[in-house]
Amino acid sequence: MKQILMGNEAISLGLIHASVDMISGYPGTPSSEIIGNFQKFSKQFNCDTYAQWATNEKVGFEVAYAGAISGKRTCATLKQVGLNVASDALMSASYIGHLGAMLLVSADDPGFHSSQTEQDSRSFAKFAKIPVFDPATPQEAYDMVKTGLDLSQKFEIPVMLRPVMRVSHAREICDVDDEVDFKPNAGEFKRDVGRWAAVPPRGRFAQGLEQLKRMDDIAKYNWETFIEPKTKDFNGADTLCLTSGTGDGYVREALEEMKLSADVLKLDMPYPLPKKELEKLFENYKTIIVFEESYPCIEEQLSAPNLHGKLTNDVHKIDEFSKDKVLAAFSNVGLIEKNSFYKSDKYADELPVRPPNLCPGCPHRDVYYSIMKVFKKKKSIYPSDIGCYTLALNQGAIDTVLCMGASVAMASGFSIADKSKTVIASIGDSTFTHSGVAPLINAVYQKHKFILVIMDNSVTAMTGRQETPERANPGVINLKHIVEGCGAVCMEHIYTPNLDESIAFMKKVKKKHETTDGPLVVIMREFCVLDKERAPTMLPGIYAEVDQDKCVACDICTTQYKCPPMHYNEDHKIEIDPFLCIGCDGCIEDLCPTDAFIERKVK
Amino acid sequence: MKYQIVIAGIGGQGAVFLVKVLSIAAGLKDQKCLGTENHGMSQRGGSVSCYVKVGNFYSPAIDEGQADLLIALEGNEGLRNIQYLKKDGGTIVVNADEKFPGIDYKTIKIDAFAKATKGELPIQALNVYMLGVSLAKDSNFPFNIKDIEEAIRVMNAKVADKNIAVLHQAIEDSRSV
Repeated sequence: MKQILMGNEAISLGLIHASVDMISGYPGTPSSEIIGNFQKFSKQFNCDTYAQWATNEKVGFEVAYAGAISGKRTCATLKQVGLNVASDALMSASYIGHLGAMLLVSADDPGFHSSQTEQDSRSFAKFAKIPVFDPATPQEAYDMVKTGLDLSQKFEIPVMLRPVMRVSHAREICDVDDEVDFKPNAGEFKRDVGRWAAVPPRGRFAQGLEQLKRMDDIAKYNWETFIEPKTKDFNGADTLCLTSGTGDGYVREALEEMKLSADVLKLDMPYPLPKKELEKLFENYKTIIVFEESYPCIEEQLSAPNLHGKLTNDVHKIDEFSKDKVLAAFSNVGLIEKNSFYKSDKYADELPVRPPNLCPGCPHRDVYYSIMKVFKKKKSIYPSDIGCYTLALNQGAIDTVLCMGASVAMASGFSIADKSKTVIASIGDSTFTHSGVAPLINAVYQKHKFILVIMDNSVTAMTGRQETPERANPGVINLKHIVEGCGAVCMEHIYTPNLDESIAFMKKVKKKHETTDGPLVVIMREFCVLDKERAPTMLPGIYAEVDQDKCVACDICTTQYKCPPMHYNEDHKIEIDPFLCIGCDGCIEDLCPTDAFIERKVK
Repeated sequence: MKYQIVIAGIGGQGAVFLVKVLSIAAGLKDQKCLGTENHGMSQRGGSVSCYVKVGNFYSPAIDEGQADLLIALEGNEGLRNIQYLKKDGGTIVVNADEKFPGIDYKTIKIDAFAKATKGELPIQALNVYMLGVSLAKDSNFPFNIKDIEEAIRVMNAKVADKNIAVLHQAIEDSRSV
């Protein structure tokens, strides 16, 4: 059956078709749509499944892994930086294995589109000694879900699927199974202490030996099943392009469009590779070039004098692939002359930039504005975290961004290292439950004096508004109880679009902080303007326009508030884009010193 | 047939919706199609661009100098992506007023914001409107109106009538462009 699927949808459908009935993970672009689509397909095809967001990636991995130990077919999803969080569990799981099957989907983001690192999950799989599949398209992602799970079942080891953003967020007409034949395994935990709780050094050493043998066996399987059949079509070109994942598409298109001839060997499973067999194959070629994103995962496993890639400085080492980069590599190894076929001139004049920004009407903007008003820049440090609120960088309201949950412990560190400043950190509600609790306990324990603002919009907003623990369990999970349970002093405030009110509250916070011996946690109860359930009840529908006579172009709104509809017109007065304004009422009362923002009468 | 489209706009204008409609249209005609989107970190208000490649392609990304058509839902976002157009034969269909600068590409300009301000067009349908203009004015456009109508129905039957009305309005308005 042909179906138009986005990569992440194709992965979800593949999981259902492969009878996976437990999936757990934490949202992270570009992996976030897998669990949501899995929930949708479960409902559509009446499949009894467990498909839930975990509080963080490590939790998600462990839930799914225990399912696989119990004989089920399971899946954990995360993005590449989430894999860092889950890595502790993964490293051990790779020694121990399981009885069922487990697919670990780790979505990468070459080109840093929405990630703080460009790390390559394939190299992580190599580090952890688990096999990894690298799909080039949504169709391949669908197919590899099944292949990966079967391999996982056969070798009793978690298998990684590594789609990059250009696969997860690509759309393609896919050929998928006509029928859903959903047959989940009934789980049964079989006690085997020697395996599930292997004790170092002897137990783990034995498992380490098994792990080494297993990877040799899988490398052999890789050659026989996936690689050798492809080599039969080769026509004796001088050049061999070794490709992995999306690199394959760029290479094939470039070869075709430039009318160049080369054999292309796509390595579906870039780790573990059959070293001996591949190096023997290389003897038939004058030149071999490896095209892979982002790290030299394949290249590091092989050696030959005529092998070119990132390690020989012939292929780019950072940023996303493009056909232009393929041609550059061809030219670097002497296959073609320097070539600018895939280059074209950008528009010559300067265009107004549109940097990533908080949505029009986003309560975060008001909260950061109030923080900046009360805690002046010169006397403050603003550590922040990973989420939509990171975009308050635009307002100059954030000093540091490191990784999920780092704001809290970094606030601790700054409060020790620079006592002359007030540390006022910010973190989202979902990020706080992800990894903010442990460092908060540490801060209470060590009496670190800082302010932590939890920007609670009750969704995991940036990744597509996934459900949060507190939202799903109102009255049961309560951030305030968590904070107080950690022993921290807590202040709670319900956001309104009245800026003066937010500023007045921040002044109270400042006072309280002065007399608090340890961390002071502020919970700002906000909402997300894209939250279809809550936003309509929270947004007052009061739209703004500018009294052109009153605007003196003082820049306060465009430098400190930065709402996307605000821009200068040709008369150098501020104007509100009526199509972007969401009617939050935020700017009208208190923002403009000359009261130029007024209510627009909507017909 | 090979045809490459870049769609540029601002987050919230519905560029991704057009990728879905075009991929469905390709699917209904049993044509190969790959689409992808670049939307960065912001949810609303940031620069967005999407690629649709109809025909025998292997990679969803479009390189500079390769696109047959650039649909720009906003003028500056069009200019920001102008390098993706084919140097000879590339067409830009842009929502812009008379201030849009002259460029070395075939330019089809229509001021959809002005129409929306006058209440002649629901701003939520800007994306479908610009698709309609492209369909009407680009003679190489790989789909006809029936293909797009059908794709819009497949995509979301509930709001299809409204969108199809906008599509027809765009085709009608294009006559005077």
